[in-house]
Parts: sequence; C-alpha cells; structure tokens
Amino acid sequence: MDHGLRIADSGDSAVMVTAARGDEAQRWETVHALADAIEAAGIDGVHGLVPTYDTLLVEFDCVRVGHAVVRRAIAQAARQGRTRSRPEPARFVVPVVYGGEHGPDLAIVAEQLGLSEQEVIDAHSGADLTVRCLGAPAGAPMMDGPAFGKPVPRLASPRTSVPAGSVAVAGRQAVICPLPSPGGWPLLGRTPLRVLDLGAERLTAYRPGDRFRFVPIEAGDWSAHAGRGLEAVDA
Amino acid sequence: MPDTLTVTQAGHAVVQDLGRFGRSRSGLPVNGALDQYSARVANVLTGTAENAPLVEITALDFACTASADVLVAVTGAPADVTVDGARRAQWEPLVVHAGQTLRVSGIRDGLRGYLAVHGGVAAAYLLGSCAPDTILGFGRTLRPGDELTLTTRLPPIDHPVFRHPVFRLRPPVPRFGEPWTVDVTDGPEIAEFGASADRLFGEPFTVTARSNHVGLRLGGRVPRRETAGEVLSRGVPVGAVEVPAGDELLVLHRGRGVTAGYPVLAVVTTAGLSALGQVRPGQTVRFRRRAVEDAVSAHLAQHHAMRALHQRVSTVFDALRIPVLAR
Repeated sequence: MDHGLRIADSGDSAVMVTAARGDEAQRWETVHALADAIEAAGIDGVHGLVPTYDTLLVEFDCVRVGHAVVRRAIAQAARQGRTRSRPEPARFVVPVVYGGEHGPDLAIVAEQLGLSEQEVIDAHSGADLTVRCLGAPAGAPMMDGPAFGKPVPRLASPRTSVPAGSVAVAGRQAVICPLPSPGGWPLLGRTPLRVLDLGAERLTAYRPGDRFRFVPIEAGDWSAHAGRGLEAVDA
Repeated sequence: MPDTLTVTQAGHAVVQDLGRFGRSRSGLPVNGALDQYSARVANVLTGTAENAPLVEITALDFACTASADVLVAVTGAPADVTVDGARRAQWEPLVVHAGQTLRVSGIRDGLRGYLAVHGGVAAAYLLGSCAPDTILGFGRTLRPGDELTLTTRLPPIDHPVFRHPVFRLRPPVPRFGEPWTVDVTDGPEIAEFGASADRLFGEPFTVTARSNHVGLRLGGRVPRRETAGEVLSRGVPVGAVEVPAGDELLVLHRGRGVTAGYPVLAVVTTAGLSALGQVRPGQTVRFRRRAVEDAVSAHLAQHHAMRALHQRVSTVFDALRIPVLAR
C-alpha cells in the first residue's frame, strides 16, 4: 500500500491499480488523475491505460519496460497528483425512445425493480448521469446508473447483437451502446443519435466527468433526430 | 501501374498488422494479428518492419498471382505452400516471379497462416493501424479478384548459382497442434475462486465453436467463483481468463472489449496468446501456471531470437542486394 493504491500484476504485460482510499468519488478522481499523470509522463513501453471507477489497468510491452519500472512510475505519478486541470464537464441531451422494439427489456427491468415501466423511465431520464469512463464496446460512455434503489441483473443469456444507440443498464451502471455489438445488459430504449464520429481523431465527443441527460421521445419522432451526432449543449 | 498480387482464391483472409495500440483509454481494443509471433517473423523474413501490413489467412485455402517479381514469406500453422504448383518452404523467404501463382492450402494443426510481402502491402489506416475492428466495421477482408498493391519494387536478384535463391534463415518455429499447452499467470482476482482455481491447471479444456478474435470459449470442469455480487466494470488485459456464466471459460483475445465486469482468474502470457491464436475449435488446451517473472523471461527470449533473426536477414539480404526495410 502506497498513496492508498494497491498494485497487482495482471499478466506479464499489465498491472491493475486499485484506489483504496476515500469515497467513491475520490477513488474515481484518483484513478483518472493517475492515468493523466502517467500519460503526461510518457513512459516508454506503456501503451494502454484503462481508468474506470476505482481501478486503472496499465498495459505495457514487457520487452521495453519492466514491471518494477512501471510500478515505480505509478508511485511517482501518484505522488505528483493531478498534473492538468480537469476540463469543465460538458453536458449532452440524448433523446430516447423507451420500451417496445427499441427497449425490449423495459418490462422485465421494471418487474425486477418492483417499479412500473413509467417509474423506470422517470428515474432514467429524471437526472443527469455522470460518465465515469469510456469502455466496451467502442468507447461506450459508462455512467453511474439511475437511482433505482437496487442493482439491475445482467441478462441470463447475452444477445449476439445489440443495435447501435441502445440505452442499457446493469448493476448500478448505465451505458449507451455506440455501435452494433454483442451485449448482456438489459435494454431500456434506443437513441437515434450517432454516438461516435469515426472520421474524427477523437472518436467521442464526451469524456469521463461529462453528464448525460436522457429525454423520452415518441417513436414517431425518431426520424427528426436520426443521423444527428452527439453534441454538447450549454450547461 | 503499381505492382500487385491479385487474389484468385480468398478463403478467409484479411489485411492485418500488429494492432491499434494506445487507444485503450478511448475504449478501443488493440486487435491485430492473433498469432503475433508468426506475423512478426513473416515480416522480418522479408526484410520488412514487424508492424507492416500483411495477410492473415484463417483456416481456408488462399491463392494470389503476382504481377511482378516479389519476395514473400509464409509463416503460421503448417500448410502446403506452392508456387505454380511447386512445393516451397514455409518459414523462409521465397521469390514469386511475375505471372506465378502462390498458394497456401491445407492449413492444419493450427488455424492461421501469415503471408508477408517485401515492403508490406498498401493498406488503409484507422487511428494508426490497418487491423480490422469488427465493432467499428473497419478492415479489409479479401475477395477473389482483389488486388494487393505492393509498396516497393524488388530489384533483380543477382545470385551467382540459383535463379531462385534458397534461403536458410531458420527462425525458431513453434510447435503447432495438440496437445496445446498455454502458459498463464495468476490473475488479480484468483482468490475469488478458492481451491477450485486449481482446476484451471490440472484439467484439459476444449475450445468451442463460439470462439473468435474477441475471445475463446472453452468447455471442461471450470473453476467456480466463491464470491457473489456485481463487479464494477474495470479494465481487463488481453489474455484475461474469466468464468462469466459459470459453465465455460472465456479467454479474452485481442478483439476484447477493454472493460468487463467479471473477476480475472488468470492471464495468458504474451507467448501463450500467440499459441492460443492458433487453436482450432474442437482442440484441447492445457493451461500451465507460471510466475510473472518466468513469463517475462520467455517473452524476452523470443524477443532476442527475433533480433538475431533480423541480423541474419540483414546479412543475407545485403549479400543479395535486396533492400532491408527494417533492421
């Protein structure tokens, strides 16, 4: 234990760093600040960083840099603390068609939570949700889940393909699925917006710390939004 | 008119490189050649940068016809390599003359072959790599009639004895086929599996048909997680061994999503991942428990062998006046 961090080997070319000190928000802040500091330090051989909620996976080429050097670099980055100020959080408003073919699991999630379908929609769209990390698949925005009161179980049998724009929840997390891909999270609805910009150097308009607000729309309004990209609004 | 290889039989082949590095934080998997060792050696044998675009041939027969003299190398799983029907060596450079047809057929024991071309083939790039990403919908799958554009022109090879130079560069060739032994190190959450974790190292596991570049699914007597509860999504390395549904192992490979919500029981070593990239559905795998230091040593040994191969290639190519494009 050093600086409230636990570091464990995760194979011959990665280590897993877990923030053990502070509350949820502090642990999240710790691993993202640490990722920024390691990125800024530009350690030769380190090629991948995956900060999520309270952990940071550091991937490296063990021919170019050894485990001991990586661990020392992590400790040094942790001592330095935050190296660049976090940008002001951006805010995104995301129209969603809930239920039906767009959100085939709305009914079952409502039943599992002991809520009505409308109560699930209200909770999901009733407050801003904070993006905690970019994850699988393809840079999906992974958010703190809505205040449902209890976690949402994953599907017993994952789907082989989930449509792009699907809005899903699992555990105490929420996500938008940017592109068609397999998935085991229950689907509440779907947004007509394009989540990624494959032509851009930064694929996603959002970063960890940004906020998403889901807004229910009718299925008939789908085409009014279809094809539009995700853009930040004035907070 | 650029020189080309025209694909006459495509099978299942893609234009590939070592992967899209440095994008984990943006949520993108590394992807790239599933047998990294064979892909690197193929490029080195042609005097080409290890990361240059080459052809990854999976399972099915592949053939192409050259419009100009070209120096190539075929590595990976054992296969029949022929030029206009004449048997040629795998894991050595060979010259295909203008108009001749190169065939890679009967891939066996393993799953994938690699065809590298002197200088690499031309490729479209996304975020620094030509590796296919099936989620992003990026990558080039070859079809009959497709042309692979060559990026360099081979000078006439001036060899005093042979019109076809015969190379003996002898890179270390891995063993392909059953019994597959794949090295793993303990995963950060191995304790969550209690004593049942030992099953991973004692029992054989059979690769199922639902396996691909994202991950391999293996049936057998799998270890059981003794803890319960939702795990927050966290980064998972390529090679992570998980037991998601409780009845089969999932071993993540290079197309894996960067985050997952399951405890990591073990992690396949870098050398082991190349072997795993060759295992065919239906084949049996045994996992061997290694210390991290031993896994690093094994990888370093492979790296040094690759450096030595680079040197042999340079020496031989210099003598033949073939440009070496990477040293």
